[in-house]
Amino acid sequence: MSYDTDHVQNVGESPGMLTGIPTFVELLDNPKLAALYTAIRHDNTTGPELIDATSVSKKTVYDYLHKLEQAGLISIVGEDAGTTVYTAEEFTLTVTVSETEVSITPALIEVIAQQTEYPVIGRVLADHGIVTFALAYDLVIAHNDGGVTLRQIAELTDLSSGTTYDLVEALYSILDLDATESEPTTYTPADFTDSDSLLADAGEE
Amino acid sequence: MYTANIADTVIFRSLGKEPNPRLETLKQAVKEADTEIWVPPVVYHELSDASEADVPANPYLDTAIAEGWLRVGLPLPGDRGEGFDESTDPVAIARAIADDFLNARSKYPETNNWRDAAIVALAVRLFEENTRIRVITHTADENLAKACARIPPEFGYYEIESRYYNPPQTVKSEFPTVDSLSWMY
Repeated sequence: MSYDTDHVQNVGESPGMLTGIPTFVELLDNPKLAALYTAIRHDNTTGPELIDATSVSKKTVYDYLHKLEQAGLISIVGEDAGTTVYTAEEFTLTVTVSETEVSITPALIEVIAQQTEYPVIGRVLADHGIVTFALAYDLVIAHNDGGVTLRQIAELTDLSSGTTYDLVEALYSILDLDATESEPTTYTPADFTDSDSLLADAGEE
Repeated sequence: MYTANIADTVIFRSLGKEPNPRLETLKQAVKEADTEIWVPPVVYHELSDASEADVPANPYLDTAIAEGWLRVGLPLPGDRGEGFDESTDPVAIARAIADDFLNARSKYPETNNWRDAAIVALAVRLFEENTRIRVITHTADENLAKACARIPPEFGYYEIESRYYNPPQTVKSEFPTVDSLSWMY
């Protein structure tokens, strides 16, 4: 049965029971929980495999699996050699306050999961909040596409120049943006063969 | 022929504060390449330690400046809101054109491109003040890198190469080298 009301929209299937909203929020504050969810999202996996792959205790892994399952963030897809295989569910948690809307997605959670290795992520989240962090995330991707400069990231997020650079470096590394490039690209005047004179154009304005 | 290398703020953020091995490597590369590093005042300001307001200090650049292999350009002419019809100074005109160039290609025009444009303006100033000079610019912003190679020829200056570092962290290994600081073509 589908619904389309002010608060619930779905297509075809029942929305089910969503009782674990605090777990969605905990993903933002608990990098180990976020890392576990991200590991399952990358590849369907079992509890023993997660214990081997993560630095958390066996008990914590199973506590977190239970918590994620209760929240509907992961589900059981079968068994492998007698152990349960989990898969991750995609989600978007959208929060709108005043005129600002922020969408928390698994892609953001994947980055947040790495704040132990990249402390600047935790600093930005703690000092500036999730809206600024999500904005910076999107702007770094736009920077890689060439449409935004580093100074613009700093100004739009209101982060200091130093924090901006640290965050940009962390996100480029985590997201593996343009990882194939190493040597700089060199532009010369010969790369710009258009005959339009910027000087003349500007003088006419 | 004198070669000047103009570096953006991101270059020094990436290399880190003094003293550190990367800056030592850069110092040696500058010497071997027989060049100097230049920065516009805005870059010096962005890298300064604001917590020591009474005694302006720059933990990234001051040692290099004292050792004589890095120079800060004089304040640049021009005003963002002024346009350049009233100005005949090529440096001010270059900065205004660079600002327009960046705004036209930006998802967020008018947001801070004026400071980026200082890199282009400093290049034009060095050309204006030196007859036998080549300029190499270094940045991690793609459109700024293009502006650096596109705009000086408008003033008759073609001896410019513009290096674009992406991902920005490649600066650490790719910038402090003789090759990056030397004329390529």
